[in-house]
Amino acid sequence: MKPPPFAYAAAGTLDEAVALLDEAGEDAKLLAGGQSLLPLLAFRLARPSHLIDIGGVEGLDILEEQDGSLCVGALVRHATLERADLSGGWQALREAASLIGHLPIRVRGTFGGSLSHADPAGELGVVAAAFDAEIVLRSLRGVRTVPARDFFLAPLTTAADPDEVLVEARFPTPGTGFRSVFEEFSPRVGDFAYASVAAGCRLATDGLARDVRIALGSVGPTPVRARDAEQALSGSFLDDTAIVECARLAAETCHPDAGDWHADGTYRKALVSHLVERALRRLGAGP
Amino acid sequence: MSAPGGGLIGSPAPRRKNRELLTGEGTYVADIRLEGQVYARVVRSPSAHARLLGVDTSEALRVGGVVAVITADDIDDIRIPIRLPFAESPEANAVLQAPLAADVVRYVGEPVAVVVADDPYVAEDAAELVSIDLDELEPVLDPANSTESSQPLVHESFGSNTIGRLAYRYGDIDAAFARADVVVRRRLRVHRLAAAPMETRGLAADYDPGSGVLTVWGGAKVKHFTRALLSRVLGLELTDVRVIEVEVGGGFGTRGEPYPEDILIPLLARRLERPVQWIEDRWEHMVATNHAREQEHDFELAAGADGRMLGFRVRGWCDHGAYVRTQGLLPVVLPMVHLPGPYEWPAFSMDLDAVLTNRTPVGTYRGPGMTEATFVRERMVDILAAELEMEPADLRRRNLIPAESMPFSFMPGPGSGAVMPIMYQGGDFVTAFDQMLDGAGYDRMRVEQRQARADGQHAGVGIAAYIEFAAVGPFEEVEVIGGAGNVVVRAGVGSLGQGVETALAQIAAELLDVPLSGVTVEFHDTAEVPQGFGSFASRSTVLAGNAIAAAVDEMKAKAAPLLGCGPGDVEFRDGTATAPGDRSVGLGDIGPTRGRFEKEGLTASFGGAVCSVSVNPADGRARVDRFALAHDVGRAVNPRLLRGQLAGAAAQGIGGALFEEVAYDEHGQPLSVTFADYMMPTAAELPDVEVTIIEHGSGSNPLGIKGGGEAGMVGSLGAVANGVADAVGDGAEVLTSSVSSARLWHALHRPRRA
Repeated sequence: MKPPPFAYAAAGTLDEAVALLDEAGEDAKLLAGGQSLLPLLAFRLARPSHLIDIGGVEGLDILEEQDGSLCVGALVRHATLERADLSGGWQALREAASLIGHLPIRVRGTFGGSLSHADPAGELGVVAAAFDAEIVLRSLRGVRTVPARDFFLAPLTTAADPDEVLVEARFPTPGTGFRSVFEEFSPRVGDFAYASVAAGCRLATDGLARDVRIALGSVGPTPVRARDAEQALSGSFLDDTAIVECARLAAETCHPDAGDWHADGTYRKALVSHLVERALRRLGAGP
Repeated sequence: MSAPGGGLIGSPAPRRKNRELLTGEGTYVADIRLEGQVYARVVRSPSAHARLLGVDTSEALRVGGVVAVITADDIDDIRIPIRLPFAESPEANAVLQAPLAADVVRYVGEPVAVVVADDPYVAEDAAELVSIDLDELEPVLDPANSTESSQPLVHESFGSNTIGRLAYRYGDIDAAFARADVVVRRRLRVHRLAAAPMETRGLAADYDPGSGVLTVWGGAKVKHFTRALLSRVLGLELTDVRVIEVEVGGGFGTRGEPYPEDILIPLLARRLERPVQWIEDRWEHMVATNHAREQEHDFELAAGADGRMLGFRVRGWCDHGAYVRTQGLLPVVLPMVHLPGPYEWPAFSMDLDAVLTNRTPVGTYRGPGMTEATFVRERMVDILAAELEMEPADLRRRNLIPAESMPFSFMPGPGSGAVMPIMYQGGDFVTAFDQMLDGAGYDRMRVEQRQARADGQHAGVGIAAYIEFAAVGPFEEVEVIGGAGNVVVRAGVGSLGQGVETALAQIAAELLDVPLSGVTVEFHDTAEVPQGFGSFASRSTVLAGNAIAAAVDEMKAKAAPLLGCGPGDVEFRDGTATAPGDRSVGLGDIGPTRGRFEKEGLTASFGGAVCSVSVNPADGRARVDRFALAHDVGRAVNPRLLRGQLAGAAAQGIGGALFEEVAYDEHGQPLSVTFADYMMPTAAELPDVEVTIIEHGSGSNPLGIKGGGEAGMVGSLGAVANGVADAVGDGAEVLTSSVSSARLWHALHRPRRA
């Protein structure tokens, strides 16, 4: 048995979870699917005083459109998201979910857990960044909403306070004709990606790309939007020249620094360019 | 002896125990629960190289439930010896490992203390409280420059980081280079790998003060050596030490050797007079259990313009890590004997250094030495083929030792050190090579490669041919006990999941003409099996199988007087020994019979691998699309198990080429300590492995068997690297055995050499 000692409490409702978390203090951690937290505990890299288990909390597995947004509840499992009937605009979310780990991990791992863990290689954070998702946090102090761009602060660090429970994320519904895709490079199926890309756009009737969104993962401390690349592509055709230029700009945007021993920064930047190109070609090829 | 033919030897009998193992009913060492059992946790060095100023155990000892904490001060000053006499040297014996570090720690993971508690959770918590006072020293991390004077010493008292230099001279090497039309030179590197069996190591030990017997569970591979070692270091009679093997989740050469824990856990059981269990976790496994393969070679190959290979010179550095362990100098001896391979070299000259670094010690891993040597030589052969613009298969075929030259030897000439002579007893390499190419559909692979290239893809085909030395002696002894309707075979080998009990049962059943289900093979307990050498070097079926044949001959000799005939007239039929004239005697009436098979030297067998590879230059990913191998096993006792062994070994090898690497940072901190970082291949990354079994017989034993458990590995690194090199063409040069996507991408995008 590996983890250091901790106290454990299971919450039955969201109110209870919020109260338990508040009471346990700032060294407590929420436990849901356990797919990131349990390995950290096994290595004793995380030493929470308390684990508040929200796995049994009702109503946190919502997955539906409400008021112009797709609401994804914290307890939606990756496997559920992967198989969800999401229309073309949300395809990147499904594709991203399908690339997380292996099936047993996706069956247990949760949407909220992935965002909260804030691993720079986490696929769902990249999609959240691309779609300007709003992340809903709740504590005894109330409810607040944080845009994705402000949510991810650093590796394994988010804007959520220690007493806040991530309840759901809201993905604003894009305009008609918007499509999105997700691409990543991992050495083996299911590995942490060396680089990932969520990309989306709407091809207007004139054939020009609008509402271009490109976000990158695994190439910096947090997911990063490639805004220069988005702007360069906006209003142009998805032809070879534009795609290659956009991919180049996206690679310039990111700063993977030294990377790690598996994949250094230079290689990761090259992968970004390759993946953006691949993603845009898919968008250009139509549904 | 009788000439066995047909029947059970050669039949694809299903592996015994499949059902138990697949349904979770097998007992592994972690499943053992003994009355009053306590749990050990090893406290390990966090530093690659440091003076050990002190170990403070007081805080750990204060934790409730802690039974004991020991450090080097609490045990005798002993070293874990080299297990194989031919792998020893005075220099190697000077750098053996103590069970617990005393004055200096020399790699991250080196045991410093052991905490024992009545609960495994408490043992882990208390182990964190053991405080180690270290004075950091510079670590030695690069084998190839470990011997430079600027480098610190791994073992100060030894005075050098080189613990041996092996020299092997054959023929007139200067003349060979003088008459060469072409010489190719490269520095090639084999990366550090770990066997990483799915089940980590583990032990349970129990000392009974009443009987004075120490029982140890979890040792496999070399039970009888472990028993003798424990008897010696713990001061117990040999008969008072029992080593019992339980189910094993993979060995691959690393698991089952006596490690520090194999001394410490039994020692604690005896001292505490309570059963002690220790189960290695994966992080520990990746720093504590032997690593393998890391070496560098400066290789020069001389050839004529016609493609005749005239000679090679090699200067190499073979890393042994921070200590020499039970396998002694095998990490340098085995690459040396395998470097010449299957080619008819007129001359060669080899100088290989055994060097030390501040990293986990190195031992043997499936296909040891031969896998590394095959990568180095076969890569150079392809580099020569490119230089000569020759077809790589043709170049190899032209240089293979012809069948009419068998038996063949490269006897060490003047200037050689004390080295093992390289001798091939037999074989038809050229025919076997062509069987391999036919089996792989080599010509079709080349056609498909041309088509893929025409479509703009980077497609390659890689070949590696090799010699594997295996089936090492000195002996194996078995006991065969016949009963009414059943036969018990007791053998001193071990089962590491390879199915040896199935193969041995097939041999006994065929020779005694009893049903397979009537044969029980016992090998688990040293109390029941008095002697044995163990399971390694693809030896178990060869050695124990022939010992069974010897026992069966002895049974004939014992039955003859009972039947009133000569031994040659005795035949086994349907569970009885029969003589002409319908006389018969039951196997149970013959009495237990021993058989011994002694074997000198190693048996060489030929094999090779061919693969097709595609490379995506944009992301550096190499995929092995097809992988075919061929191996001469002499005679396949069980072709189904053999195919499984060969394909499994090839999968490990492909994973080693594409994904796996044991890496360290510049401080000697290990980077690959989880399966997220030490990337074993999954089915998604592997092709089907196509196997061609060659049965060329072996004159070195009555059953005609050669080794087969490791062979699938041997050509893997070389074939994959050659396939990748062929795929990228002039785009990049492949000089390391790791062709990970990052390495390959960088090689493809490096500024070109002039």
